[in-house]
Amino acid sequence: MEYVNPEGLRLDGRRFNEMRQIVAEVGVVSKADGSAVFEMGNTKVIAAVYGPREIQNKSQQKKNDHAVVLCEYSMAQFSTGDRRRQKFDRRSTELSLVIRQTMEACILTELMPHSQIDIFLQVLQADGGTRSACINAATLALADAGIPMRDLAVSCSAGYLNSTPLLDLNYVEDSAGGADVTVGILPKLDKVSLLQMDAKLPMETFETVFALASEGCKAIAERIREVLQENTKQLEYRRAA
Amino acid sequence: MGTEVSTSPTSLIDQTVVPGDVVLDLSNMTNQTIKLGSGLRQDNEVISVMRAGKLRYSKPNKYWVESSHKRYVPRPEDHVLGIVVDCKGENYWIDIKGPQLALLPVLAFEGANRRNYPKFEVSTLLYTRVVKTNTGMNPELSCVDESGKAAGFGPLKDGFMFETSTGLSRMLLSSPTCPVLEALGKKLSFETAFGLNGRCWVHAAAPRIVIIVANALMNSETLSGTQQRIMVEKLLEKISD
Repeated sequence: MEYVNPEGLRLDGRRFNEMRQIVAEVGVVSKADGSAVFEMGNTKVIAAVYGPREIQNKSQQKKNDHAVVLCEYSMAQFSTGDRRRQKFDRRSTELSLVIRQTMEACILTELMPHSQIDIFLQVLQADGGTRSACINAATLALADAGIPMRDLAVSCSAGYLNSTPLLDLNYVEDSAGGADVTVGILPKLDKVSLLQMDAKLPMETFETVFALASEGCKAIAERIREVLQENTKQLEYRRAA
Repeated sequence: MGTEVSTSPTSLIDQTVVPGDVVLDLSNMTNQTIKLGSGLRQDNEVISVMRAGKLRYSKPNKYWVESSHKRYVPRPEDHVLGIVVDCKGENYWIDIKGPQLALLPVLAFEGANRRNYPKFEVSTLLYTRVVKTNTGMNPELSCVDESGKAAGFGPLKDGFMFETSTGLSRMLLSSPTCPVLEALGKKLSFETAFGLNGRCWVHAAAPRIVIIVANALMNSETLSGTQQRIMVEKLLEKISD
């Protein structure tokens, strides 16, 4: 199957270095301390953050002088074409761990000892790139909750199909069997907080794909900044009016 | 926190900032002291943002990030509304909507001694003052001022307690008096207590006055001064009919 036509267009009409449309909103769950909805094309994720609050289960606390970060990833049963039955499978457990580790890298846990931060993520629509969307949604929700962070943790995926590096794969491209690289970065600190790849790639090709994913991350970081700035300005404008 | 740097005002003052933004670069600055408020931290040679909000500066040398969140970060000398969760030994455990439960010694009341101290049931609402907030320890509260007098601190009986954002509670406690409180106070008789932790308590002779005041306060967060006055006028018109 041809995933990139001779004109350089993909199945959904995007160019190789073009991302899907991003829509984001914060403060969508009234009972949560921080929440956000993040959409990348047809992938839609909702995140809710509770905390920092008194630690519930003392046995979970490994380091006494740091906050405990707990993450729960789940996919809604209606999120995919065929109805999902299992709520928590091995994949969900693995993704919960990956997202938790990525978020721990950006949260200043040492400022909140003896407390816990709960991050709940639900995929409402899945069309490829769910883990990236979850990390971006979690970052927005954490910022909305006012949890101290070193930097914004942002993530984007890139792949390699038909000898072409492709940015932000959708489900069809993701399941085509090519390499899929998911990158998470802390843009201001210029550090990588997540790097996953599910197939083999030659080193020079990998570097091209990684660079493409990093550029995607920076574009997402800019969009997240805009959303947070918009949210802060809203209150300001209303009060000043 | 004192850091040896110059205080040349940054271009980000009164702008919206997000986690990771660099406010001041200390490497090229001469010896002067600056004070960092909430939302900022020193990271080696730079002062960076750790919470989304508006960067504020007050002469001669104070920088802080002004933001509105649901969770509260305890600070010494803040007045907060706490709920009794438990009583263990010589301390009450109080929920102040912070990362940890706070401790209120049973002797931290006017005229209290080992034989004679006030006894509160679980879920009692108390108006208290934050005394200590050391990292790694639970915040400590008191129901007396510096001179040992009750000064309005203590249990809040009857009335209605509701939760708001920390930004709204700061606005309601601001000086000069918030327009919504001023407008309500001219026409209605009621008693209020606001905690910087986002909890508000309202008490009046008639339940309908409590409901009107509570709704007016909750709706005022996103309104300007003029809009607040108009809203109060409309509410009062309805009850006078």
